Amino acid sequence: MNRNRGKLQVIEDDMTDVPENHKTTDNYAGSDGIKTLIKELEGEINRLHRFSVRGIQAVALFLIVSTLAWLDFSFLPATESVTSYLGDPPSARIISVVLLFYTFSAIILSLSRMATGIEHKSSFSHVAYLTAFFLFYHFGRSLQENYWAVFGAGITILVIESYRIWTYCAEGISRKKEDLEYAKRTGRAPIAE
Amino acid sequence: MFTTLAGKALVPVGLAVTGFMVVCCLILYSVIREDLHHAEIIHATNLADTVLKSARYAMHKSDRETLSTIIRNVGEQRGVDHVRIFNKKGIVVFSANPEEINRQVDKKAEGCVVCHKGTVPVTTLGTMQQSRTFRNQQGMDVMAITAPIYNEPDCSSAACHVHIASQRVLGTLDIGLSRTELEKSLSMLRIQMIIFTILSLILTIGGVTAILWRSILLPVQKLRIYAESAEDDDFIREPPPHLSHDLDIIASNLYKVKKSDADRK
Repeated sequence: MNRNRGKLQVIEDDMTDVPENHKTTDNYAGSDGIKTLIKELEGEINRLHRFSVRGIQAVALFLIVSTLAWLDFSFLPATESVTSYLGDPPSARIISVVLLFYTFSAIILSLSRMATGIEHKSSFSHVAYLTAFFLFYHFGRSLQENYWAVFGAGITILVIESYRIWTYCAEGISRKKEDLEYAKRTGRAPIAE
Repeated sequence: MFTTLAGKALVPVGLAVTGFMVVCCLILYSVIREDLHHAEIIHATNLADTVLKSARYAMHKSDRETLSTIIRNVGEQRGVDHVRIFNKKGIVVFSANPEEINRQVDKKAEGCVVCHKGTVPVTTLGTMQQSRTFRNQQGMDVMAITAPIYNEPDCSSAACHVHIASQRVLGTLDIGLSRTELEKSLSMLRIQMIIFTILSLILTIGGVTAILWRSILLPVQKLRIYAESAEDDDFIREPPPHLSHDLDIIASNLYKVKKSDADRK
């Protein structure tokens, strides 16, 4: 594929001297402009590198929360004192129905973002929602029976999100590297696609 | 794997379908288990009521022999772990197991502590609160119901052995049912769900793979081979047949470019 792209680029170079997707802009005219562009592209590549591990960080955080849930949130105040203050939690069945809807919606949302290539930093908010499910089950005294359902939902959603973020970043990094290479080689700025 | 077209198409679908099906099965299993447990409690409560109603006449007449026969016969029933009646002081007065008779029960023991938590014992409990599950000495899971034997007007006014009217609870019937059959059913359900999930996953992933392979991956492979062969300047051949519409346009355009390039030369 890269070979074909190289071949096509050579043909286009022959015809117009500048590839179609690498037309220059006036914003980065001059050697200072190109230096700024190179710095910006390098910064963007670094940012994407950092962003690509966000999904893994969210999975790690969720595993910590799951471990605490496995230990029955021993550091939290007693269930009776919390329920006497906040009232009775919803029944386990209602929480399970909400969990099912949440899992379905989160997967659909993540797949839609994957399809449209949107950069969305939603991983940590999912960890918060899943922690809330753990807490609801805990205060409803049914965490033991429903632990694996929340754990399975969390792992599914966060792994899909991690994959989405990782592929998004991998594509972005490869595109930016191409732009960087072009800018360094020709001394001109490519137009964003 | 992740960089190929097949990997990029199949990994998210596989993850989403697998994860969602596993979560659905776990929630469904949890709901079914809760329902079965609920039904088991209702069944045990009804059984306790039946025993109490059967023994009521014998209690009324203070017929200890008939009462102990009823308790022993119920205790011999398959699936019944234990049946015992405590008096107000917590001493076992009737039991299917003769060794338990006249033993004192600790009020802090599981099943007793629910009512005897405070200084004044609770005299009324809901059906679900009367139940408890534990593992007996033989390592068998047991679900037990503690049903209070209430003082009724004909008990406090009977001539034989009068209880004072202010005494609300006369004793307690404790009946335990083995959970072996229920656990066996749940275990079968678990296996069936795992098999169902695996089969559904194989069908889903297999179906998606087959459709992708037939409609996208195979034509793309053909196009790639054609594009690679088109690199050879001396050889221009017609685009491969039976490509899908979009890929056919790409192949035709590539053919036109190559042909015009060759004509120009």
